[in-house]
Parts: sequence; C-alpha cells; structure tokens
Amino acid sequence: MPPHSHHKESVGGLGKMVKILLTLLPILTVVSCSPIINPNIVNKHVERIIDLTSQLVKITSTITLENTGKESVNNFHLIFEPGQGGNLSYRILKDTAKDELRVTPVKIENYKDTFNVKLNQPLNSGKTTTITLEYIFTNALVPYPSSITQKERQLVRYFGNVYFYSPYKTVKQSSSIILSSRNIESYTKVKPVSVSDSTINYGPYSEIKPFTTESLVVHYENNSPFLRVTKLDRLIEISHWGNIAVQEDIEILHTGAKLQGPFSRYDYQRDTSSNHHSIKSYKTILPAAAHSIYYRDSNGNISTSQVRARKDWIELELRPRFPLFGGWKSSYTLGYSIPSYQYLYKMPSGSYMLRMRLLDHVFDDMHVDQLETNVVLPLGVTNVQLKFPYSVDRLSDDIAHKYLDSVGRQVIRLKKSNLVEQHIQDLDIVYDWQPFLLFHKPILIAICLYALFLLVIVYVRLDFSIHKPENKKD
Amino acid sequence: MESMLRYVSPVNPSIYPHLTLILLGIGIFFTAWFFVYEVTSTKKSRSLKKELAVSLVASIFSGFGILFLLLSVGIYV
Repeated sequence: MPPHSHHKESVGGLGKMVKILLTLLPILTVVSCSPIINPNIVNKHVERIIDLTSQLVKITSTITLENTGKESVNNFHLIFEPGQGGNLSYRILKDTAKDELRVTPVKIENYKDTFNVKLNQPLNSGKTTTITLEYIFTNALVPYPSSITQKERQLVRYFGNVYFYSPYKTVKQSSSIILSSRNIESYTKVKPVSVSDSTINYGPYSEIKPFTTESLVVHYENNSPFLRVTKLDRLIEISHWGNIAVQEDIEILHTGAKLQGPFSRYDYQRDTSSNHHSIKSYKTILPAAAHSIYYRDSNGNISTSQVRARKDWIELELRPRFPLFGGWKSSYTLGYSIPSYQYLYKMPSGSYMLRMRLLDHVFDDMHVDQLETNVVLPLGVTNVQLKFPYSVDRLSDDIAHKYLDSVGRQVIRLKKSNLVEQHIQDLDIVYDWQPFLLFHKPILIAICLYALFLLVIVYVRLDFSIHKPENKKD
Repeated sequence: MESMLRYVSPVNPSIYPHLTLILLGIGIFFTAWFFVYEVTSTKKSRSLKKELAVSLVASIFSGFGILFLLLSVGIYV
C-alpha cells in the first residue's frame, strides 16, 4: 500500500489532540527519548546495483539484515548520505514479500536526514530478513566537459560512494555500476574492482564500519537523452456527457552538455548514427482509448508526429520542430479525449469517483521538474474529497469558465516537483453531483433562443414609420 | 472497487449525430414557421398565443439540437 495522505480539514479535533499530547508529553519523553541506532543490527550482505544508463541514477540495494541482539526488532534506521549529488526523487523499500515498508522521518542526534523504517514482521533474535531499497536521483549526472561541439560524444560524471552508506556494520558487500556504453574515461579504483563490457563491479568488501564513505567518481560516455520537462501543466476536464478531455502543456529542456560552436544542418543530416547526444524524437504513451489527439505549439499544428495503436496503449512519436541540443528548449501542447467509462465511476453511495493518473508518461526515463495538475469538475459538484498516491501540494481552488458555463466550475489544483516515471500513479477524486444538472446547458441555449424570438415578437409590434398611415379611418 | 459502476453517458455518444439531425431539423422547421408567420400575418390576424407557442417549441428543439451538435463535433460541454 502506498502511503496515502488525506486532505481533510479537521480543525475541531486539533485542539483536543494538542491537549492530549501535552498531558502525555512527560510520559512520552520518558518512554521514548531520542531514538538510538541499534548496534545489534548488522547488514549481513548488501548488493547494490547502480544504473547509470539513462539521465537518471537508479540505485537498487538488496540488504540482508541480521538481528544479532537478544530482543526482537521492529524497526531500523535509514540515514541519507551526506553530500550525495543530485536530488532524490523517489524512494521505495520492500520486504521479501514485496510489501512496501513505511518510512517516517525521525530525529536522531548528530545526524541529518534520518528515517525510521517499520518492519512488517518483527525480526527475531538471530534471524535475517531481506529488504530491497530503491532510490532514484535526478540531476545527479554532470556533463563533463560541460560544452561540446555537434560531432563530439557526450561524457558525464557520476559522484557516489564506493560503500553502501549505513548506520550499521556491513559484513559483506558488493556493487555493480551499469553504464550506457563501454567507453569509460576513468573510474575510482578501490580493490577489488573489475570492468566487464559496460559494467564496473566493486567488491566484495568485508567488515565495513558504519558511516564509511569513500568517494566514487565514474566518467563515461552517455548519449542517452538528457531531457527534462521543466514545466508540465496537465488539465483534466470531466464532462458527464461521456468524455474526459486531457491537455498537457509541456516545456522541455535538454540538460546535457551545451552545444559549443555553430549548428550545421548539413552535418546533422549526414550523421546517420543513432548514437547522438541531440534529441530528434521521443515516444509518449497514451491510454489505449485515447482519441482526437492533437499536438501543437504556439505556431500551430506540428505535423511531425505519428500515432501507432498498440494492443494496450497508444504510442505517439513526437518530433520537436528542431533537434534539441544541450541547453536548447522547446514547448508544445498535447491533448486527447478519453471516454468517461475508462476513469469515471459511480459508487454505491451515489457519489462519483474519478480515478486518473496524476502524472502521465511523457518519455521513457523522464524527469519532470514542476508538475501542476488541474482537474475541472462538472458544474454544481459538492462534497469533494481527494486521495493522493503520494504527498502533493494542493493549491487554492480555482473557478473555470468553459463552453456554455454561465456558472463557473470548480477546479482542483495540485502541484508537485521533481517527479519520475515511478510517480505515474492514480489520483482519486470523489464528489457528489446531480444528474439533472446535465439539462443546465441545453436549457440555457433554449432560453437564449427564446429571448431572441421574444425580441422579434416585440419588434413586429413596433411602428417606426415617420408619417401617419394614409387611411386613418378605421 | 468491485461494487463501483463505470460511468457512461445517459445518451449513447454514437447516436449524437442522429439526435443532432432530428432535433435541429425540428427546431429549424419551427423557426422557419415562426418567421414565415411573422412576415405573412397582418396586425389583425396576428395571434400572440400562437407566436409564443411556436417560438417556444422552436427554441427548445434548437437548444437541444445545438447541444448535441456541439457534443457530436467533440466539444464536450
């Protein structure tokens, strides 16, 4: 279960809670003063896979925890490595049963960015358990040199730690770094280390003390697209006439090595190798039922796109108006419609529920800097409730006037920064709505037309003639 | 999740164009009748009741007709 955060105002209960907490405070401080790192927990075996094949840094660690103490353990601590490059975008911990573990921030003296991880089953004395820890970092790969010419290959540097950073002793550990090419300029050598094809293997290292760091630098060729969505405005519009319209305003930026010198279209056309740092096109995946797709920018329709219907999705190949080089930007609008039965449900209680992705796919291994999702609810909704898959900022509601909206429609505005593909998760919006409101718009049109007819009826009864009628007898 | 029904439009979207044709056809017929009546009738023969009745029918049918026209061209209001 992903950690849900409900947005419900509960002002009344808050005061009571504070009161109870205040009375409990002395007791609480005695029972659990600042948590201490349990010295009896040992990382028996750690295996790290650092995936550097894309613009993102994906670190997957498989940790075998052992409880060497006498008492069973319910939780363990996770400390975020100081000086880790890039921004952490996504983190997930799973146990052997693939169930997610709850992570809560906790304060431990002398350490920053500490988290408490609750185990689903207590770890008994002398037993081991395996935990998978996955981190995804953005902005962690630095182009070096920072600017290159059109023909050059893009080289990047990764900064990390040779050892697995942990508050516990690690008995045995090894790491492998997967690169996007065989072309490695340099890498930190801490024996034993070996290179095979495009993978660097570090370790096995044994008996590593807690909090050990040893800087690791890998300088290698990475021509995968370094494309960042700097701004993504997603607009979802519900119509109870059976349609959900989606529109995405996207701003993209190539964050790889900047282009040095001029751009030659001639050289560009001649260079047929697919392995190039510039971005020619990319693929966006849309829901299988999407139709009426449009792709345009401020100049109008962009004709260089192609729609391919796959079995379970629609693949859209988008080609920007110009190839993107380091530091170059582009922006466009992508929109489509989906039949309402795909995402809109009627609940037994009579409420309606929209279950739709808060963020959708833009391209593989994407990195979205700023996301703003706006949901335009139908006319006259009441009792709106939201459920988020992860913590999201809710901005103040807006009022939208769409076609034939004499009364504004409520807009839910949500914001989040630093997202990756793993954030493509469902958002639930539950609301009450009356079906007779469907008649609002046709009756509105009818009233306007009737007013015109009445104007005509009045007009024909008016007399605009200047002189009196000739036969005034009758 | 199982007890939730997928929401479909009360009117099947595939018949929107047909509804447009029928409703807007009736609406235009009554509109034409109204204007023909306005032009041909004289002050004496004009009946307010008839004018109001015909224009009411015309505006209701045209109103729904225009709505389904918008829906069938993809403007989901």
